[in-house]
Amino acid sequence: MVEDSVSTRAFVRAVLESADFATRQGACEVIEASSGFEALRLLPRGPYDLIVTDINMADINGLEVIRFIRSSAHHRATPLLIISSLHGEHDIERGLALGANAYLPKPFTPEQLGEMCARLLGAERTRVGRSEPPSGGP
Amino acid sequence: MPTLKGRTERRAARRAGETGKRVEYLAFGLAGETYAVQIAHVAEILRPPPFTLVPRASETVLGVISVRGKLVTVIDLRRRFRLPPAAIDRKSRILLADAGTGEQIGLLVDDVQQVWRLASEEIEPANVLGGEQAPHIAGIGRPTASDGAMLILLELRPVLESP
Amino acid sequence: MAEGGGRGDAGDKARDEFLSEAQELVDGLGRDLLTLDEGLKAGRVDPELINDVFRGVHTLKGLSGLFGATRMAGLSHELEDVLDDLRLGRIDVTPTVLDLLFQAVSLYARLLTAQSSDAPEPEREVEQLLLAVGQLSQRRGGGGGGVVAQYELDPGLLGVLTEYEEHRLRANIQQGLALFRIRARFSLATIDSSLDELKAQARPLGEIVTYLPTGSGANVDTIELEILMASRASLSALQAAIVGPDISIEDVARRIGPSARPAHAAPVAGAASAGASFAGPGMVAPSATPRHASGPARPSQEPTAGAKTPSIAVTPNPPAAASLRGPAPNRELSLRSASQTVRVDIRKLDRLMTVVGELAIVKTAIAKLTDRVRRRGAEPRELSIELGRLNRTFERHLAQMQSGILEVRMVPLGQAFDKLARIVRQISREHDKDVNLVVTGADTELDKLIVEELSDPLMHMIRNAIDHGIEARDERLSVGKPPIGTIALNAFQKGNHVVIEVEDDGRGMDHGALVAAAVRRGIVSPEEAQELTESEMLALVFMPGFTTKEVATDLSGRGVGLDVAKTNISKLGGVVDITSDVGIGTKMTITLPITLAIIHVLLVEIGAHLFAVPLASVEEAIVLDEGKVRTVESRDVLTVRGTSLPICRLARLFGLPASHRDGHGPFVVIARVGARRLGFVVDELVGQQDIVIKPLGKSLKGVRGFAGATELGDQRIALVIDVAALIEEVLLPGEVRFLAAAEDSGRRNGTLEASRRAGRT
Repeated sequence: MVEDSVSTRAFVRAVLESADFATRQGACEVIEASSGFEALRLLPRGPYDLIVTDINMADINGLEVIRFIRSSAHHRATPLLIISSLHGEHDIERGLALGANAYLPKPFTPEQLGEMCARLLGAERTRVGRSEPPSGGP
Repeated sequence: MPTLKGRTERRAARRAGETGKRVEYLAFGLAGETYAVQIAHVAEILRPPPFTLVPRASETVLGVISVRGKLVTVIDLRRRFRLPPAAIDRKSRILLADAGTGEQIGLLVDDVQQVWRLASEEIEPANVLGGEQAPHIAGIGRPTASDGAMLILLELRPVLESP
Repeated sequence: MAEGGGRGDAGDKARDEFLSEAQELVDGLGRDLLTLDEGLKAGRVDPELINDVFRGVHTLKGLSGLFGATRMAGLSHELEDVLDDLRLGRIDVTPTVLDLLFQAVSLYARLLTAQSSDAPEPEREVEQLLLAVGQLSQRRGGGGGGVVAQYELDPGLLGVLTEYEEHRLRANIQQGLALFRIRARFSLATIDSSLDELKAQARPLGEIVTYLPTGSGANVDTIELEILMASRASLSALQAAIVGPDISIEDVARRIGPSARPAHAAPVAGAASAGASFAGPGMVAPSATPRHASGPARPSQEPTAGAKTPSIAVTPNPPAAASLRGPAPNRELSLRSASQTVRVDIRKLDRLMTVVGELAIVKTAIAKLTDRVRRRGAEPRELSIELGRLNRTFERHLAQMQSGILEVRMVPLGQAFDKLARIVRQISREHDKDVNLVVTGADTELDKLIVEELSDPLMHMIRNAIDHGIEARDERLSVGKPPIGTIALNAFQKGNHVVIEVEDDGRGMDHGALVAAAVRRGIVSPEEAQELTESEMLALVFMPGFTTKEVATDLSGRGVGLDVAKTNISKLGGVVDITSDVGIGTKMTITLPITLAIIHVLLVEIGAHLFAVPLASVEEAIVLDEGKVRTVESRDVLTVRGTSLPICRLARLFGLPASHRDGHGPFVVIARVGARRLGFVVDELVGQQDIVIKPLGKSLKGVRGFAGATELGDQRIALVIDVAALIEEVLLPGEVRFLAAAEDSGRRNGTLEASRRAGRT
């Protein structure tokens, strides 16, 4: 989870680590990065099953993070979700063009977030054909 | 073997049960009379610890005590109800009263008696005593299972709000 | 509680974080706007600052939406549009625009407070503001798309620019700056500080547009960045200024010939094909253009009245602006933060942890000692020495912990002062006066609770200074003063107190006029008026009777909320003094104890009862020599080293029998708060101690003279004397008795006579 707002991170963490989500997807561990740089630091510590990122961040913006992620061998295919206040359609389009799988505009409800993440994680599961539940997501 | 008294009590209880909800009152003694307050408003019953005088406080305030680290103001109910004063003895107790005014206040009483479960027809309204009664009298309780016991039911808020 | 509170499932912790983060964002917005304001006055506008404000509002929008603060989200939505226009150059930054933004910040503060308390939301004001803001927002296309194509920029880089970054790039090129590419390699561990250094080196020379991480991420320790920068300087100048072990700078080459097809069209086309990888419209649906659904209808969708005019910036729109400035301006109801959190310097916490470690060592030593006692029945004398030593060590560490924790609660006064700067600006504009706020000592620290409680009293005082103190421009010029008025906020520490001064260079207060007004309003009788000292006269402004505001320039109009301010300050254990000179200015001085919870006290015995006197207010304690006591105007005065000290026999005041042992005492505890001294006569001095002061219940609020009580262990309780209150009660009989009489009789006709008779000490 790459997002520079403390409370948004807390919100997403609360949803993904909740019992509800666990019953659908299995236990989930959320690893937080509060800036593009931290995301780059944490990336090698993967693998991650899902990456959720904001776009508007200081210094290295979310688009640059997405590009970087997609250029690395390990995370070329990792499901990637953009969460962003729907101000720049332009920015979201760029993000999708760079390889993000989906976007969820803020504000979203816990249900919408859960739905979306489940779908992205589920898609991966069927694609890769894994039998154990996924084990984490920054 | 069920005693006669027991049967009377059970009959009374059954009759009371038929009319519905009962409220529990804690009875205590004060200057020879028996008073009672709703037990829901009594947070705790304590043996009086030493209390500390508060200079220039109102006459009814005996002082402050510490209850598990919290400061509680103690009111002498005898003084509050203009009854003759008396010394504190082994049977005296402090009732920690909480009637939703935002503060728990200690009430000094002579002794603590039992809990009565009064049904609505066992409670007579205050004006049965005739004329205007003080706002702190809520009514008179006459538990049928007792031997004509009479409880002066207290309305706590007026007592707590204007000590 | 405000609406939209139903996100309990997202966690209470998350909600607390929200309030805290939102508060910080709002505070930050306020500060940024003030800086913008100053810059504007000097003729500069910093685009980065505008972007910061935009990002702040953007983040607030996201947060408030997420956490159900619908009105805040709606407000942020509109503001975001305006700020976007501002940062992309579609609208100019003008004072009127800034005004609206300032108003928005106060509305945010009030909305936040409504989120965490029962205060109602300022619905109407928000709507009015939204109307005004909506009319500002213009939709004009950002011009000059082709300029970027002049440079040989990697389409990959262009593809990761956000809309804003693109705009900044274009703007810089249009203004004739050249583009440079800085390649740098940093260690990921220290990147934050290395980057800060680079930014500091680059800032004076130009603007950094974006940072792009290059490389494959295979190396986990370092990262390579490509940094795009615009500057008027030459390459060599840049190379000289921006240095580092792995830094290289080069120009970005210009393309020769007609501009090629704009490179960034490609990713847009790509988006259409990328659409195939979506899991279906279901994912896009939830977003269902909330732009149009949520919040008030965006005026920019419909033709706005003045929007067609090609002229730049704000269409005057007098109706909206006037209604906002007119009879119901955005009154700040309270400046208190909505959040109960404190930002802590992590070093303070580290120090605390060290002390905990030391305490653990003492604990082990005690355990060993206990063992020895149990096993060998060791020598009592030896044991007692060891125990004594351990006890002293323990006490020392405990004291360190106590003060360490109290320190964590300390925050700089600057927190309150920042908010006040906004108020000054707002009120000055309301009254059309030019006022400058000068602050010193903003880093003086006080307990967070005190700083919070001070915001409102200070606001009242400043409002008063501007309303009634500072004259209008013309009047000032006519008396030879500079046209811009000054209000100085000074804070500094003085011993165990913090002093805060609010000083203005306005009209000052005329004692005579004050007294006359007080007599007119029945606050004092003409006879009493004769007996007032100068400071008592000035103190009249704190009387409740002065609350009615008079429209005339009558000096006695001062007093909106000052009585409340004084009460609040007393509750914090502080006092307020005023000095004033007609034509020159007025100064109000607040003196406060530094911390609330744990205090050093002097334990004394009065009438065989124990009381505690806060040492912060004690100058010294001496034996009472009755021979040196004189009675002056029914008050006992003691001569101490040649000076007069009024004394108060506490046993008598409290109605207790004196209890000092013959030949030993009584004693006089000389207390001082602010400019006033009083000697308290007590029977015995018991000792000094650190205590935790606890408040007395509401039931005892009518009892004057006690700041709380403390437990001395063993269920013994000592009442803590409120030195400031007693000093007032004894030394300023006029003032206090007015208040007492007013309270008792419920009206303003309490005469000095009656109250003197009633409460003679």
